[in-house]
Amino acid sequence: MTYTNQNASILAKKSSQIKSQIRTFFDSQGFLEVETPIMVKIPGMEPHLEVFETTLEMPSTLENQTPKSLYLNHSPELQMKKLLARTEKDPEFGKIYNMGKVFRNGEFDGDTHNPEFTMLEWYRYDSDYTEMMSDCENLIAHLTRRSPELVYQDKKIDLVHPFPRKTVNELFIEYTAIDLNEHKSYESLKEKALALDLPIASCHTWDDIFFTIFMNEIEPHLGKTKPIFVYDYPASQAALAKKSDTNPFFAERFELYIGGMELANAYSELIDEEEQRTRLIDEQNQRKSLKKTIFDIDEEFLNSLKSIKKPCSGIALGVDRLIMLLTDTKSIEDLLLFPINHILKN
Amino acid sequence: METTTTIRKGQAINFKNGTWIITEAQFVNPGKGSAFTRCKLKNMKTGQVVENTFKSGEAVELVNVQMQKCQFLYKDHEGYNFMNNDSFEQFQLSEEVLGNDGKWLLENTELYATYIEGTPIGVQLPPKMDFRVIESPPGLKGDTATGGTKDVKLENGVMIKAPLFIKEGDMVKVNTEDGSYVSKAN
Repeated sequence: MTYTNQNASILAKKSSQIKSQIRTFFDSQGFLEVETPIMVKIPGMEPHLEVFETTLEMPSTLENQTPKSLYLNHSPELQMKKLLARTEKDPEFGKIYNMGKVFRNGEFDGDTHNPEFTMLEWYRYDSDYTEMMSDCENLIAHLTRRSPELVYQDKKIDLVHPFPRKTVNELFIEYTAIDLNEHKSYESLKEKALALDLPIASCHTWDDIFFTIFMNEIEPHLGKTKPIFVYDYPASQAALAKKSDTNPFFAERFELYIGGMELANAYSELIDEEEQRTRLIDEQNQRKSLKKTIFDIDEEFLNSLKSIKKPCSGIALGVDRLIMLLTDTKSIEDLLLFPINHILKN
Repeated sequence: METTTTIRKGQAINFKNGTWIITEAQFVNPGKGSAFTRCKLKNMKTGQVVENTFKSGEAVELVNVQMQKCQFLYKDHEGYNFMNNDSFEQFQLSEEVLGNDGKWLLENTELYATYIEGTPIGVQLPPKMDFRVIESPPGLKGDTATGGTKDVKLENGVMIKAPLFIKEGDMVKVNTEDGSYVSKAN
């Protein structure tokens, strides 16, 4: 059911308990909770994300008085990986987590988006993305007290382990009979989308067509009766992830869907400095062509990758969406005490 | 035909060989891709409801639709009968067209009829309507803070879930899209 104003305090209390149980889950496994800044110089290079810009005024003690543009962070990802890179010198940083606010400009007016929201990220040194899948299963089990099922919006979701796992390409073949390996070019995938009668006149890239097919033909089926790990995304949509050894068209990235909601996004982290530079420059160019704010390449981040000697993995999980699932709340606007639509109206 | 790249609730569009009204439009963003608008579309002829997700900025053909105030008169074996409040012209829509919406109609309910090129092809229910509760089992004591609900019967015969404090004879506001309880009405 939808929580009304009269039980807002009950929902607020449940949210607070869930966040404290999340911390217990990680603390008890020896993870270190780290804080990362909300204001940063480089908030991440994802081509499509819009940013909030703010201005830092300089104190009179400094020689350079020019105010500096800072941005509200999209995700603590770059800071987390810089900390993870200290592991060889200080093993305490080998398992870290962070729970805090992140910001995406222009993203609201739907059940699952608010321009500021709470993100949980955790990272493991000497690990890959399959370990992140186990972490997700264990975290959900911890938060549901090992309940075998969950009811969300009148639909029963089976939580028995292991959660099903399917590659993106398996899902494309299952729901659309399109094998992405045979349609790696824009023209070829476009032809397939047109055959499905999808509106794609404004899709100018392969990824735009990919998403139009995915959002219409595949995503509506995901995680409805059981959670699902959707893994191995096209490498063009995972600039910070390691490419698959067996098929480098795809990268070791997964998303966890529960109850139709995209809940978490994880990578086997890309730790090769040169390849990372190339892929960040590629994203920077995409931002230029989309006329988005341009950020510098984060040299401190690239430099830190040199200190990483073993494979690493990391994940970002939307805490508000997780709480919506666990409290059977339909919309993020019902969960947050001050969603952006409320702020705009009052 | 006029086109638009800003897809919003309430617009009528030509899509997949039909005319559809957008009954729901939500912002969604897959994170690593561009933004999308997830829509529920209702076919203006058949009442069929489908979902489609449009890339933000996608151009769609707009249909010029007129909304005119009308009231519901009565239902007979051929369908639902309405009167246009301005022209006093009467018209009928089939059960198939009204679909699930039909159950919310009470005599004299005022609502908007949708006309395409002068022909009434459907009605838009008010998103929230008031109904009297005619049957309500007594609530369980001391359970009002947990968000508990019970099944109550409305004057139109529809059963809905309502909070425990709702009594027989109360007026309640109901969401006509999903039949959910909104609040107590005055």
